[in-house]
Amino acid sequence: MRKLLVATVVAGLALTACSSSGSAGSAGSGGGGSAAAPGAQALQDAKGVTTVTFWHSMTGQNAAVLNSLIAAFNQAHQGKIEVTALFQGTYDDAIAKYKAAVQQKATPSLMQVYDIGTRFMIDSQQTIPTQAFADKDGYSLADLEPGIRNYYTAGGKLVSMPFNSSMPLLYLNADAFKAAGLDPSRPPRTLAELADDARKLTVKNASGQTTQYGFGAAIYGWFVEELLAESGTLYCDQGNGRDGKAGKVVYDDAQGAQVLQWWADLVKGGYAVDLGPVTADAQAAFKSGRIAMNLESTGVLGAYTQAAKFSVAAAPYPKIDASDPGGPAIGGASLWIDGPGHSAAEQRAAWEFVKFLSDPAQQATWHAGTGYFPVNSKALAEPADQAWVAKNPQFRTAIDELNATRPSAANAGCLLGVMPQARKGVETALEQTISGSKSAQQALADAAKAIQPAIDSYNSSVG
Amino acid sequence: MPRPPSTTAPAARLGERALAWAFLLPSLAVFAVFLGYPLYRTFYLSAHANDLFGAPSRYVGLRHYTDLLGSAEFGRTLATTALFVLLTVVPGVIGALLLVLLLESRIRGVRVLRSAFALPFAFSVASAAVVFGVFYNPATGVLNGLLSHLGSGPVPWLTDRHHALLSVALATIWLNLGYNVLVLSAGIGSIAPEITEAARLDGASGWRLARSVTVPLLGPHLFFLVVVSTINALQSFGQINILTQGGPDGATRTLVYSVYEKAFAYGSSDFGAASAQAVVLLVVVLACTAVQFGLVERRVHYS
Repeated sequence: MRKLLVATVVAGLALTACSSSGSAGSAGSGGGGSAAAPGAQALQDAKGVTTVTFWHSMTGQNAAVLNSLIAAFNQAHQGKIEVTALFQGTYDDAIAKYKAAVQQKATPSLMQVYDIGTRFMIDSQQTIPTQAFADKDGYSLADLEPGIRNYYTAGGKLVSMPFNSSMPLLYLNADAFKAAGLDPSRPPRTLAELADDARKLTVKNASGQTTQYGFGAAIYGWFVEELLAESGTLYCDQGNGRDGKAGKVVYDDAQGAQVLQWWADLVKGGYAVDLGPVTADAQAAFKSGRIAMNLESTGVLGAYTQAAKFSVAAAPYPKIDASDPGGPAIGGASLWIDGPGHSAAEQRAAWEFVKFLSDPAQQATWHAGTGYFPVNSKALAEPADQAWVAKNPQFRTAIDELNATRPSAANAGCLLGVMPQARKGVETALEQTISGSKSAQQALADAAKAIQPAIDSYNSSVG
Repeated sequence: MPRPPSTTAPAARLGERALAWAFLLPSLAVFAVFLGYPLYRTFYLSAHANDLFGAPSRYVGLRHYTDLLGSAEFGRTLATTALFVLLTVVPGVIGALLLVLLLESRIRGVRVLRSAFALPFAFSVASAAVVFGVFYNPATGVLNGLLSHLGSGPVPWLTDRHHALLSVALATIWLNLGYNVLVLSAGIGSIAPEITEAARLDGASGWRLARSVTVPLLGPHLFFLVVVSTINALQSFGQINILTQGGPDGATRTLVYSVYEKAFAYGSSDFGAASAQAVVLLVVVLACTAVQFGLVERRVHYS
């Protein structure tokens, strides 16, 4: 019984922690585009050290590089600005904590939020758009990589500063390719070609057990989103939520069903293995050589080349059809400067730090240290960055992939308040298609129907 | 026991009573703050809609509850929960009982074995679940590796909806085994040696001794384990979150996991719906416990 009591208490505390009187959201001074940014004078006039609290979700190597960048910034602004970084768990955890912080009027000065939290952050009306600071200062945002800027632009304004950007890649076991008589420098470009190669790359031992699967990837909705983006297909209505507030998801179309069916067919045929929803499990499968082709983010390239005992090749993300325009959406996260409850000096200090992080030099360090794609195009021209890419030719792929991308509504990505739940719906649909409990079309249609109340409820609470 | 007639004056008795309340006050205060208030808050939240940040926004009465009644998904969640309880409690208690009975035999090193079987008790749910995750991994897992050596195909332990709940239950049984063995070992130790000795003199041994003497005398301990394991199973969270995240296709979404999903996962902050489900969980736990005490306890023999 004691455990029950403890659990009740914990649950109760968690629930109470997230409730308070009043609606903090409506008190905020607009965020989606109307909020004004303070001028540089505010920080110049500030006495003593202005502290910037920074919530982030970086771990391991990425956290180490981030902390070194913060230390460098604090060193350069000694006596004036002090950035305090606070790790807040995964992106999902951080958003949950941020919601509680809004209610308690205790938001951080600066917050790292994942790509699919963008709509929520706009609606929260807690932040000042990056565009407002740039306009105030006449600061040019032209160096920001266009595809990345496209993702974080709503209503024609840059709402947040991109920081860590990732793209999807097709990872290949080059040794397995050669053993199967395939050329790793001619990777599959479409789902059909990938399926053909997966058949050739599937290896069985004498007793009929599969020792190597042609393909495998985590059940991760992002991979489906990227295929749709490349095919020029919208994920939600209103031009992927870019022209107006999205009112429904539209992923239950022919392309969506084709992707799910393709994946399920590979698993059913024994050419792919269902690796479940945990990305670390899928990564382990590729690193161990159990799967010859894998969909993953640019962010794992370093880990793959280090851990794998075979030669790892990185190919452009496949397309559904050869005629698709191509160009994946940019994942990752961006930085949001909080307005309400923070002094003008603090807001300015946060802006200074944001500018610092997006400068070419810092982005080059970040790129080389983590594998995240630099958000500043000039970072690629930094000598340190060029040396790194020369040493890691696999990274050329992501650069070329991005350079070839023409920004469109489809590859801008869907802005939806309940985007994480919409993604979860696609993952469930994929599981249903693989298990055969539903057809791909039916599973997607059901997922779209199931998410509708959440979208309606979200949109009505935003007003 | 009737109270002895009091010889003290009424004033002194009043003082005594005040003193009693004063001593009780700290625990009552803790009870009210950490139990009473959260419970009240859960009921309150379950009757309200939420704003963007999860704060209660407007009164909706029983709407969250009526939504649950009409939801096929919630029905499936309840069924999954019930199945999970059955799959973990029954084998968990019976398995521990068999182990403990076997450990009664006078073989060398039985003490070491007893400690070994109690060992899972020392593991945290999270670390054990991570280890089981390594065992179950579809491509690199230890279990499928073993199967392959035996010439058998891989089993989709966690990725198939027909296997996933069973696999999570297996991990849970292992986790609970240590505690169950510990409790039953203590139970056997508390059986008066004269009773077993008398039974042995009457010629009982082995299976007969276990069935007619040891197990009935373990009744209170077994009953305790069934009650505690049931509550534990109803509240299992860590292993589900780490191994399957409620999937695939909701196959391991139990009531507790569903509460978590509504309140915290995937950017959701639907505390109203989550609280309504939490109230249902509370009712289920209370009902299970009441039934167990009302029906089963009568058959338990307390020596």
